[in-house]
Amino acid sequence: MYGIGVLKGMWVTLVHFIQTFVDDIKWAGKRYYTPEGIAHRSSKDTKGIFTVQYPEEKLPVPEEFRYIPILLQEEDEHGNLHDRCTSCGICAKVCPPQCIWIVRTEDPVTKRPVPEPVDFFIDVDICMNCGYCAEYCPFDAIKMDHDYELATFDRHVQNIYNKEKLSKPVSYYAKIRPTNYAREEALRAAEAAKKVEAAAAKAAPAS
Amino acid sequence: MTENRPANPTVNTAGYEVPPELRQNIAITTLDKIWNMGRRYSVWPMMFGLACCAIEMICTAASRYDLARFGMEVMRPSPRQSDLMIVSGTVTKKMIPQIVRLYNQMPEPKYVLSMGACASGGGPFKEGYNVVSGVDQYVPVDVYIPGCPPTPQALLNGLMKIQEKIDSESITKVRWYRKGEIPEIPVPLLGPDIIDPRENAMIKEYTSKPAPVPLAANPQAPATPPAAATS
Repeated sequence: MYGIGVLKGMWVTLVHFIQTFVDDIKWAGKRYYTPEGIAHRSSKDTKGIFTVQYPEEKLPVPEEFRYIPILLQEEDEHGNLHDRCTSCGICAKVCPPQCIWIVRTEDPVTKRPVPEPVDFFIDVDICMNCGYCAEYCPFDAIKMDHDYELATFDRHVQNIYNKEKLSKPVSYYAKIRPTNYAREEALRAAEAAKKVEAAAAKAAPAS
Repeated sequence: MTENRPANPTVNTAGYEVPPELRQNIAITTLDKIWNMGRRYSVWPMMFGLACCAIEMICTAASRYDLARFGMEVMRPSPRQSDLMIVSGTVTKKMIPQIVRLYNQMPEPKYVLSMGACASGGGPFKEGYNVVSGVDQYVPVDVYIPGCPPTPQALLNGLMKIQEKIDSESITKVRWYRKGEIPEIPVPLLGPDIIDPRENAMIKEYTSKPAPVPLAANPQAPATPPAAATS
């Protein structure tokens, strides 16, 4: 008999259609717009609709997700922000598509270079989000951001990010990448302790 | 129940006060808003992909992100039926004549969305011998999405920007209801390098000039005119 295949296919469709409602009723309104609901709909056990209703709810990004780089700024006890960046230029050298420009500066009196950059540009229409800048930065100053909602109407004005647009406080980085932040802070603390120890050892034989 | 719902942006925003007893029966809006609402929920993208960004575009159209929620599910394989061109991927010099032709064949109103770093500015291939550094050198782009590639949610964000742009347009001011013809974009020619017909005058002017005499071969050339030197 012809048409058995069609009927089988329609049966599968009907089962899916019914399961949609069954799952919605089982979750009693908590299936949408809640973190558990999104996690359930992303899992393999889900039955029925698994669409992420994007503008209202967003799929959580993994911690290692990377988009456009950000520059980290330390906050001191007076509330002033200081760049971690020392404008060494390693990121600009390793950048495969060469999208980083750093404007260095020097002290007007002593004529020695100032470690903080005057300006820092990244053309996000060239950046390929590879994360090499963050990998190679010896000062943990440049990191990859999680923000992807960056669509603009004019690229020549809005898509060349300057230092002001790239800079984010360290607390923001600690929030988006807690594991990485904890690991890096432990390493930095260990290195600082080693430096103090070495200085003490150097001072001890002299006295 | 109705109080909790977000206000419909189309209805009763024309600046006229509706009496409370008539609110169930009358809705006042402007022609622009009705017209734009119809257009913003039926943007049909053209079905073509150029590179890896196209994979993300396919993912956006599939059921996890579902373009149908925005009325954009009808990917048209013909430029005659599409409103939006998603330039998804690296635009090579060999591909740009075809893209410009497709753009010319699309009926007005038409929008271009440049998806990803390669389409917007050349991306990592900016210095490449065979890549156009930015599709906006040839066709007018409405929205740029940075990213390599943009995630499906970033693409949806860009599509919502297109909707925002549609909302900002007025029926009395748009270019396609004005008098006169909208000029087509001349299709670039693929040669040893890409040739833009809009630059023909400049190329002709440059090539019709006499070739500069190399300084090393003729050190006195700037001092003596060429006619005197031959006689």
